[in-house]
Amino acid sequence: MTAPRGHGLELLLGLLLALLFVSSLFIGSNPIPVWQALQQSLQPDPGVVGLILTEVRLPRTLVALFAGATLGLCGAAMQGLLRNPLASPGLVGSSSGAAFGAVLMIYFGSGGWYQVPIGGIAGSLGATLLVYLLAGRNAASITLILAGVAVNSLALALISLLLNLAPSPYAVQEIVLWMLGAISDLSLQDVAVLLPGTLAGWLLLVGSGRQLDALTLGEETARSMGVRLTRLRWRIFAAVALAVGSAVSVTGSIGFVGLVVPHLMRPLAGFLPGRLLPLSALGGAILLLAADIAVRLFPAGAEIKVGVVTALVGAPFFLYLVIRSRRWAP
Amino acid sequence: MPRLLLILLLLLPALSPAGTPERVVSVNLCTDQLLLLLADPGQIASVSRLALEPESSYMARAARRHPVNDARAEQLLALQPDLVLAGRYSPRPLLQLLRRLGYRVEQLELPRSLEEIRRNIRRVAALLGRERRGEVLIREMDRRIGAVAATFDGTTERPAALFYQPRGYTSGRDTLQDQALRLAGWRNLAAEAGIEGYGHIDLERLLLGRPQQIFTSAYAPGSRSLAQHLLQHPALRRITAGRPMVNVDYRYWICGGPMIADAVEALARAHRR
Repeated sequence: MTAPRGHGLELLLGLLLALLFVSSLFIGSNPIPVWQALQQSLQPDPGVVGLILTEVRLPRTLVALFAGATLGLCGAAMQGLLRNPLASPGLVGSSSGAAFGAVLMIYFGSGGWYQVPIGGIAGSLGATLLVYLLAGRNAASITLILAGVAVNSLALALISLLLNLAPSPYAVQEIVLWMLGAISDLSLQDVAVLLPGTLAGWLLLVGSGRQLDALTLGEETARSMGVRLTRLRWRIFAAVALAVGSAVSVTGSIGFVGLVVPHLMRPLAGFLPGRLLPLSALGGAILLLAADIAVRLFPAGAEIKVGVVTALVGAPFFLYLVIRSRRWAP
Repeated sequence: MPRLLLILLLLLPALSPAGTPERVVSVNLCTDQLLLLLADPGQIASVSRLALEPESSYMARAARRHPVNDARAEQLLALQPDLVLAGRYSPRPLLQLLRRLGYRVEQLELPRSLEEIRRNIRRVAALLGRERRGEVLIREMDRRIGAVAATFDGTTERPAALFYQPRGYTSGRDTLQDQALRLAGWRNLAAEAGIEGYGHIDLERLLLGRPQQIFTSAYAPGSRSLAQHLLQHPALRRITAGRPMVNVDYRYWICGGPMIADAVEALARAHRR
């Protein structure tokens, strides 16, 4: 299959994303007059509908956009680096490690806002490296998955332990939230917590696409083409830790986006990891925004977590991957 | 004749267990409160461990003078109680065991209105043989609440308010908070939004109600969680035009009792801010 020429696809996805972004601002548990809200939000002292638009819906929309894009992008980068279709932040432990770090900081930290993403970043990096070391370089899918399962369950066990021991009486009930992910009732402060690390991670990945393309030809060939593998590996691990760590410390570990989106986009990217990166970022943002809009369409009072929707979409897709790999098996 | 009198006198202590209990054990925070408020200190054999927590127990100081229990069967049996006070939701197997062994167990409902608070006070007072003390408590509570309510009697302009707790919970119709808010001259937005009892209110609906004052009851000050973080949402401060959220301690609400008067007075004081 050949890649479609030009940037038509990116443009199309970008338009879809913009459309979802705007609808996300207009859809909520209560209908509000949108034009009035827009006008109000531009004034220094907005009325109540302006407040709902800028302080309730905008943060949620921005977080869905950045977290979704991060998960899609990092999934694509990890699959490219490890040349393994099952590598993704959710399976390799980056997300659960990040959630562990963030939980440690939120419930036991001294309260500085910067501590939480730093905890998330450190946890994410730690878990990813642990899986990578356990599985070894050139790991087969099965080894990587096993290592991922081990580290994920360790991280989840530690999260439940921490939340059970946390001084806050509300902590125990938040286990589900960290395991499934949720993005309701966020504020612009949460966006500020998420943004620096996420953007730093994205920036680190800029320009890594060509090297990932070369890597598809095998490590030896890539090396002969001037790709410094150790450096590339560290660069991608650091980028994933920064971006996923910051995003997950605000949203909890939202599953399946990082796994499903690169798979959906790969044929469209002509199987080129480099081109897959921006496409997966766009696709991840689209998926998470759509999932978050779907959550809001449930009747008010039913608090469905966004991670429930992504899992409902992602799990059947994962099964489809399993079935397809069986068909191709010798 | 004097001998008969002597016999009667000797019989009296033996009769008293049937009349007023002398070794009362409470296994529930809310029965602890009424027991500590109403009983003669000598009547109290033990209160629950939660009664010592100053965050949730209004009578925490008085509770320190008594042995505490953890509502465990062997512990309670060792106390040889002649009356066990328990709440509506106290562990059922424990209460069944105590009843089977012949102990007297009385369970109390959680009150949702002033009327139910009065009923509970009268019931515990009667059980303890301290009816007079019960009436004094009720009269004092009614006097203080009546004084607050009287100042708002003629007012037609009642500002909107609501309770907002961690994780977005609020108190709608048929709750103590609802009645207290109205007595203290506020409109309860949560009740107007159709919420029955304790329920969740989403942030957008809260903002659309344009509350002038938001109240909360901190349960665990100093600890942190995502649930508690929600109360710091900047939109909450902006909708009340910078009026800070007012905290009315949890210990006034968690058990409906005469301490509700303190809460009503605190709610009324918030008008002046």
